[in-house]
Amino acid sequence: MRREFLKLCSMAGLGLSVPVGRSAQAGPGKEPDLYEGPYYIVLNASGGWDTTYLMDPKGIDGINRLYQEGDIQSQGPHTFAPTATQIEAGMSNEDFYQAYGDELLVLNGLDYSVNNHSPCSRYMATGKLDSLAFPTFAALVAACKGPSCPLAFMTFGNYSNTGNLVPMARVPYPQSLKLLANADGVQGNPKAPYHDDFVNERIERALQEQMDSRLSRARLPRMERAQSMLYAAQINSKTLKRVAPYIADKIPKQRLATQAEIALSSFKAGVAVSANLSIGQFDSHANNDRDQMKLIPEFLAGIDYVMKRSEALGIREKLVVVIQSEMGRTPTYNKGEGKDHWSIGSIMFMGQGIRGKRVLGATDEKQFLIPIHPESLAKDPEKGIRVRPEHIHTALREHAGIADHPFSKRFPLKVPETELLKGLWG
Amino acid sequence: MPFGWFYRIALRLWLLGLPCLGYSAPDDDAAFTNPSLRAYFLEEVWAKVGERSCLKCHHPAGDAEDSRFILKDPMRLPAAERPAAHRANHKIFARMAGMKKKGKSLLLQKAVGELEHEGEQVVKPGSTGYRILEWFLLSPPPSYTPDYSPPPYFSDIEMLSAARLLRRVSLSLVGRLPTPGESRLVADRDMDGLMQVLDGMMRDDAFYDRLSEGFNDIFLLMGQDGVAERIAGYRNFGDTRMWYQKRKFEHIEDEKARKRAGWSLADDYRVSILREPFELIDYIVRNERPFTELVTADYIMVSPYTARGYGIFEELKERFKDPEDFLEFVPARLKALTLRTGKPDQVTPTGMYPHAGLLTTFHYLQRYPTTDTNRNRLRTRKFYEHFLGIDLMALAPRVTDAAAVDAKYAIPTMEAPDCVVCHRLVDPVAGLFRDYQNTSNDNGPYGPREEGWFTDMFGPGFEGEDLPEADRWRSLQWLGRITAKDPRFAIAMVEHVYYILTGRKVLPAPEDIEDPLFGSRRRAYQEQRRWIEAIARDFAGNNFNLKVVFKDLVRSPFYRADGLSTVATHPRRQAELDDLGVVHLLTPEQLGRKISAIFGEPWGRFNDQLKILYGGIDSRAVTERLQDPSGAMGAVQRILSNDVACKHVARDFALPASERILFPGIEVDVVPGANEAADENIRRAIVHLHERILGRMDAVGDPEVERAFHLFDGIVREAQARGRDKIAPIESYHCKSSGQDGPRDKDPHYTIRAWRAVVTYLLRQHEFLYE
Repeated sequence: MRREFLKLCSMAGLGLSVPVGRSAQAGPGKEPDLYEGPYYIVLNASGGWDTTYLMDPKGIDGINRLYQEGDIQSQGPHTFAPTATQIEAGMSNEDFYQAYGDELLVLNGLDYSVNNHSPCSRYMATGKLDSLAFPTFAALVAACKGPSCPLAFMTFGNYSNTGNLVPMARVPYPQSLKLLANADGVQGNPKAPYHDDFVNERIERALQEQMDSRLSRARLPRMERAQSMLYAAQINSKTLKRVAPYIADKIPKQRLATQAEIALSSFKAGVAVSANLSIGQFDSHANNDRDQMKLIPEFLAGIDYVMKRSEALGIREKLVVVIQSEMGRTPTYNKGEGKDHWSIGSIMFMGQGIRGKRVLGATDEKQFLIPIHPESLAKDPEKGIRVRPEHIHTALREHAGIADHPFSKRFPLKVPETELLKGLWG
Repeated sequence: MPFGWFYRIALRLWLLGLPCLGYSAPDDDAAFTNPSLRAYFLEEVWAKVGERSCLKCHHPAGDAEDSRFILKDPMRLPAAERPAAHRANHKIFARMAGMKKKGKSLLLQKAVGELEHEGEQVVKPGSTGYRILEWFLLSPPPSYTPDYSPPPYFSDIEMLSAARLLRRVSLSLVGRLPTPGESRLVADRDMDGLMQVLDGMMRDDAFYDRLSEGFNDIFLLMGQDGVAERIAGYRNFGDTRMWYQKRKFEHIEDEKARKRAGWSLADDYRVSILREPFELIDYIVRNERPFTELVTADYIMVSPYTARGYGIFEELKERFKDPEDFLEFVPARLKALTLRTGKPDQVTPTGMYPHAGLLTTFHYLQRYPTTDTNRNRLRTRKFYEHFLGIDLMALAPRVTDAAAVDAKYAIPTMEAPDCVVCHRLVDPVAGLFRDYQNTSNDNGPYGPREEGWFTDMFGPGFEGEDLPEADRWRSLQWLGRITAKDPRFAIAMVEHVYYILTGRKVLPAPEDIEDPLFGSRRRAYQEQRRWIEAIARDFAGNNFNLKVVFKDLVRSPFYRADGLSTVATHPRRQAELDDLGVVHLLTPEQLGRKISAIFGEPWGRFNDQLKILYGGIDSRAVTERLQDPSGAMGAVQRILSNDVACKHVARDFALPASERILFPGIEVDVVPGANEAADENIRRAIVHLHERILGRMDAVGDPEVERAFHLFDGIVREAQARGRDKIAPIESYHCKSSGQDGPRDKDPHYTIRAWRAVVTYLLRQHEFLYE
């Protein structure tokens, strides 16, 4: 009966690969298995970063006022804007590339296609411009790989649609995790349980029996989905107690680091698959250089924290990191010393299964996109393609091994075979 | 594929070279009487191409109004007129299909952007849409039989009884359980009684609190940046907005107490400021004024405190019952704004500020600020979203190379066709906000640009109508008046009430025509759409009284749908019903009120952190409520159920039976298995708990009652079996009835703890946590 139910759910597109059946089979209140990776982090520079102050330096024709072409730095194949002397806090480009250049894959010349925040954010997050229904990559991969994780998909901002595949979890503070970790103890104290253990077991069993009894009843699809998700949420929440030991004693105050701390401790505990990390205010219509010089170093410092903390937790090798923004900034300054929206930008990747020390694609001296050949990935202005978010997302789905998952097929990106980016990950 | 077999036949004919292009125009009307062709036209040609692509421009008021291909929108017509509209549309399609140029059908050539089609390419060659049009052109037309015959949409749907609907409405709108009188009225008069009860509830202050909460979810006006007194800007109210700082509280001797009084005054003032826009909504709805005043009201609502902030208290003070009540609001008008020096800042022929409901409140303008580069486009987007129900950014059209377009044109937003398509709509409305171009948060929103409005934008106006020069000083009043007359306003307001009642937005139109369930999703969308539009007409016909919308929606089948009488097995039927039923995870605020209603007092632990964890919003950084529970929310549910049960069970038993709300009919010494009467007593106690906590009206023999009985019975027996050496004969220290310093409750039979387990079990259930 349960098997039939689950089958029906997947047919009807319900977000229910959550372990109604599995936990029930395992016994009342039985905790789901740990998720052991890979873990996915999408870091978002919300508002639109100036790529010419990071991975796609120009220094010509007044595109950058803080440096000239001759000042451009390099690290292996990477070239980057010099920022060490400009910044007051955070991590300079020089330090970032020195630390991570060997792991970093950069793609310059990404075509966002439009230049408004809302559609661009949606497009970059999902790979689909003209739909409000598609899940973000982070949500999709969480639904495919770890639906029984209580915090499978965590978000700290940015476009976060789930496509109805998996619940989204918002955990604002690391302390929140401690609060949730011992839900059956008075004030979170495991030594002061509300109920005796045998009572808890009986409550869980009764809830499971009730859930089972409902499977055979005629219910509205929405009711079926809600009851199942509720049951799964409560059962799966028990695994949150695994997180507490991994929360750092000293919680960092920086925006990205705080988010990373919550995400990484949840990864380590095996209760999460993916996380959207995001900081905003990159939309530098006024005083572009001042804002970008404050925010890019903060952003890079956040990435640095992710990598170092994941190293300390022993999960760095299992991490897949996507570093993006929803748009770039114009090659010219406006009257307010700012830069407006530009539909061409860049994206960076690091982590498991990604060969670094590479730069693909390019923009020309006026910051226009140069097409690349999808097979060779070399610049090919004549026969190349304009790389767009759907190309990236198709490749990400392949990389994660979820391209053929029914959830992915429900949200097809429809990139022609001839446009698939071959060997993007190296 | 719904037309898979048809596709195969058509393909075979195609390969045999039998088909030829050229729909027979003279037979078009006859063709529509053919059930097969009619079905194909409606379900494929119209649903997947005509309605989605052609109708956007080819309607009497569309961009292609001058063409010969003018279609009707059946969804905008009464049901009785729709068949004729479909027939007319079919005729126009058939005629176009029969016309050829260079041997090719005009229909296909135009659709792919040839023959100077101004709408450019709307269907890609080889796409599903293109194939559908190709098949439409086949002659003779192949037979088409849909693979699914849908039943009437609401057949097999079980509706909530009036009695249960009463509980839902009561908890949802006024945050309490129904009174005995209300229950009797509904028992006697069914739905008519419920409507009467609803009228009463909509006079209750609690309803207006709920209304504020719901509209804040939509307008997010509580999410202001900085302290609330900055809403009234320094530029115009710099001398008055900090009036509270002048109060010295000299009658309070203790310095700390004096400081606290000052802080308290400031806090009250800030609450009062933030409440103003919601008081406008309250005033309109409570007094059954037309809700169009949301965009046309020539007044704002002020309290004695905010009136002081605007410097108009002296002229209003006689109208307040209590000049120190920061929550008493009256309608008032501001004079045309002046600078702090007293010099005019705003010149109006009337000498008054041109109020236009929410549109001109400082709250709305400050919540959605502008910059010299944004140029009020964010405000325009919000205007469309909030008052016309249109998300301008929902389906942004792709541009081949947006960067190249930017570089090619001096003013892309006025010259580049890819940009003009949206900016022609957006920029005129943005221009209507031009008097509110102050970009300094502390100075308030008012302040035209010294250089004048931007000339590299389409001029102020609304959807093709220019702002008359005579209305220049009151451009937002002009916009408000137009908005109030726009049929989309009424629909948008119905959609807002739908959100307040169900916790989710109305269905969007399905997008993916290749989805095998497209037809079913479209049907669900259209069914809901018809109700929404019918309610909007009723709303408009009742002088835009918003209470009518609440009543219409509450009695609609969309709000009452509660179950299925038979299992829906066909995937298309399942897809049709996918969104049906309220089934809404209660928000932290709603859950808090429900706990208060059922247990007599609030839980008290839904602080800001727990609210966000439980999917709530802060109206600024977190603006969308979570609909589905994550594991984090599951943990909060466990905390809540454990804690609420802990707090109330022993305490309820400690009261005289007549004063108890949870256990009025049973005592702690009633032990299961003692005799039949004891078991019956326990079952009846469970029935009472089911009704109180879950809203279920169960019989004693109901399986759910039996399950709870077994839980209680099993726990008591197991505790007894474990013996006193392992199980203490007293209730937990943390859950005792007597508060912190009192003794622990005796629980020799373990029944208090078993009842606590039963209450915990019930609080974790869907019926409690969802609406």
